[in-house]
Amino acid sequence: MRKILAVLLVLAMVLALVPAVMAEGALEPVTLTVFIGDPGDAPKEDNKIYKMIEEKFGVTFEFEYLAGNLDETIGLKIANKDYADLFCAGNSADLAISGGAMINLLDYVSPEKTPRLWAHIEPQKARLIDKDADGNDVLYIIPNYGLADGDQIVNSVGGPAFFVQKQVLAWAGYPQIKTLNQYFDLIEKFIDANPTDANGTPYIGFAILCEDWRHFCLINPVQHLMGRPNDGEVYICVTDQNYEVTGNDPSVPYKTETFIDKPYAKAYYKKLNEEFQKGLIDQSTFTDSYDAYIAKISSGIVLGMFDQTWDFGSGTQALTDAKMYENTYAALGLVYDPEYVNGVEIEEHYVNGGLPNVRRGFGISVACQCPERIVAMWEEMLSDEWQILFNWGIEGEDYYIEDGRLLMTEEQYANLSNSEWKLENKADGIFTNSPKKQGYIMNDITIGDQVIKAGNCWEPGNQPEILFGLMNDYDKEFLSAYGYKKFGDFVNPPIELAPYGEAWQINYDPVDTEHTKFLQVQDQRLPEMIMADPAEFDAKWDAFVEEIGPSAKAFEEYMQGAVLEEVKKVVGE
Amino acid sequence: MTSVAVKPPRKSKISKTLGSQWQLMLMSVPMLLYVLLFNYAPMWGWLEAFKDYSSKNALATGNAPWIGFGNFNFLFNDPLVKTDFLLSIRNTLAMSVINLVFGTVSSILLAVLLNELRSKTFKRTVQTVTYLPHFLSMIVVVSIAQNIFATNGPLNGILRSLGLIKEDVFWLGDKKYFWWLVGVINVWKEVGWNTIIYISAMTSIDPCLYEAAAIDGAGRFQRILHVTLPGIKSTFVILLIMNIGHLMEAGFEIQYLLGRGVVYDVASTIDIFVLKYGTEKLDIGVATAAGMFKSVVAIILLIIANMTAKALDEDTLI
Repeated sequence: MRKILAVLLVLAMVLALVPAVMAEGALEPVTLTVFIGDPGDAPKEDNKIYKMIEEKFGVTFEFEYLAGNLDETIGLKIANKDYADLFCAGNSADLAISGGAMINLLDYVSPEKTPRLWAHIEPQKARLIDKDADGNDVLYIIPNYGLADGDQIVNSVGGPAFFVQKQVLAWAGYPQIKTLNQYFDLIEKFIDANPTDANGTPYIGFAILCEDWRHFCLINPVQHLMGRPNDGEVYICVTDQNYEVTGNDPSVPYKTETFIDKPYAKAYYKKLNEEFQKGLIDQSTFTDSYDAYIAKISSGIVLGMFDQTWDFGSGTQALTDAKMYENTYAALGLVYDPEYVNGVEIEEHYVNGGLPNVRRGFGISVACQCPERIVAMWEEMLSDEWQILFNWGIEGEDYYIEDGRLLMTEEQYANLSNSEWKLENKADGIFTNSPKKQGYIMNDITIGDQVIKAGNCWEPGNQPEILFGLMNDYDKEFLSAYGYKKFGDFVNPPIELAPYGEAWQINYDPVDTEHTKFLQVQDQRLPEMIMADPAEFDAKWDAFVEEIGPSAKAFEEYMQGAVLEEVKKVVGE
Repeated sequence: MTSVAVKPPRKSKISKTLGSQWQLMLMSVPMLLYVLLFNYAPMWGWLEAFKDYSSKNALATGNAPWIGFGNFNFLFNDPLVKTDFLLSIRNTLAMSVINLVFGTVSSILLAVLLNELRSKTFKRTVQTVTYLPHFLSMIVVVSIAQNIFATNGPLNGILRSLGLIKEDVFWLGDKKYFWWLVGVINVWKEVGWNTIIYISAMTSIDPCLYEAAAIDGAGRFQRILHVTLPGIKSTFVILLIMNIGHLMEAGFEIQYLLGRGVVYDVASTIDIFVLKYGTEKLDIGVATAAGMFKSVVAIILLIIANMTAKALDEDTLI
């Protein structure tokens, strides 16, 4: 009897498996080509997560990472119609879209076909879905970041800020640095007292990266000093104060202007000119490549710069690896001193409300033979189990669960910043640019026989037990000297996202020669001006304003229209 | 060439020559195919210079309308593009001339020096050492240069310790040094390689001439001046003509790798212009027009150089 039962049981199990096996068997193994618009390394052959993807979806990947200039690479790919199946054009996504490289994902994504993906984009769909020339709804790329659940997490500044080495603040007795003048005074004093580091290498007071598209380090600060988060190359008046400091007519909604040619920008570059004369700014900074810039940061000699946190991550990583914690950076939200803006105390806003990373991430190219399969894969990958797998890894191996909380040992957490380890044990090549969950885990998840309670963070780096529990001692002391809990406390809490989002995301015609001119004149004249004899500065500034005038005007008009259009799309009439 | 009194009928001569040299003809077929395939066939692409790619969809759909000389008009008359294009022509020519002069003078000088050496081993060593940089990728060469010429780099250090400068010189970011820097980098990379051809020309000079000159009492410098240099004159002229054909190509790697906003005015070359319009802005029409303009000017320069050489009764290329 027991034997029969056993046989029946086995039979039942086999039968139960059949549909599953058949469904899986229906998937022909396929190799997808992947292009990623960032430099990087392909994963190791025996990567454990990619193995699981292959077992589950029958998909293997062939990676191509960016080598060289992004715009040019994308341009060549468009001209040759040479697209990978999964295509991430990074910051040149607009070029790829207008070049006809991408398919419209709305043919495959809908509430019925892909409930998870739809639920993922639904809250922000006004921002994400565009109209094409014929008025059809189009969605080419599901954002790789910024569709987060729960309250916004600001543990640190992830975007733009003025950065200063922690040792400079510590040396000065942990002062509050809030304005441009305070910032440069601090660096000047420090460098006077400590001209070189322990090895005798002279410190660089302030570095300005201006290579290729990374020239935002040179151009963008003005808008932040004037109290706005990152709108790219324009200043947009949202609050009363914005109108007041720019002197714009408050009756024009979302008044948009290029800031670089305005009198309030002059103050910043004049300041840089002064600091250059004092030797605080290294001449080479205007000819350094990105690699040279990162090399200088990694060696710990750059005391300060304006940048965005992600842009010098590899430098921070190198410093952390070398345990040079005092040379890592604190992000400061600086504003103009009142003297520069008619005595107005500008309110600082570097951190914006949560914003989807519109048109950044993977799209599916027109060359792809099986778009529905990729979409189905994304749909499945958005499940809680896969998201935990991508973010945290395998339970017991890469993390553990205790009282419903996701935790890591020090070693497990250290692995996450070991690039070699990651090539074997993480699937970042695919995950980084795929749709993903961020923020807080909103409901309980069962993994095996363990339960992960709601309220955990999707990303290990945000989980408070890890962030604060595993923080190095230098940082702990540094924060406690300020009485702060986290590095995000150095700046004001996020403001509400303006309806147009952030204006740097607004698409402009890449063929537009006016805009090329607009950028080129800045790249050329601003460094010249900063290095000029102070007596010639005013004349150079006036010449610059005149030279950039027409192209700035054209860009301004275009952006004003585009911003209002965006507002209309999101808010309605 | 001496004139021939009676010309035989043309046709029969050609077919006779073809017949007698058929083996040679056969051997030249692959080269002929190579030139046709890689140099003539791509000229088909010049058609794009007469199409309008300025609209976003032209490339995606592949339907770019014909616009005659519109792209050329745009290059030379559009207020925004004109200055850019003219600047890049100026820079190209300036850097080419500098490269040509520096390159030729330095390689002839090195060749003469090597030719005068007695020690074979030393000569070989110098030759090898000087031509090895030719095999380095330009990106490596430029990185080395960036380090050497950096404001806090070794060159400024040496100059300062010699007391030649007081303030560090901003080699890489000062417009007035840029062209010369490109020339210097090119010389460093190519001098040994370019020397090879001159050395081989010098070895073919009849030793009797040197002996005769020595007997007549010519010193070393006089021998160089009156035997060696005249001996390589025809090689020099041929190379000059070829190089003049390449005047419109100042190379683009160094300028591209060293070019930043601060030196944009002096660093942009026609090739960089073509690259920018063709791949960054995807206006293939304008890019092709610029490239085509470059080729046409190059052909004209080549013909002028050739005619000048002919007029001076030198060997010519065409």
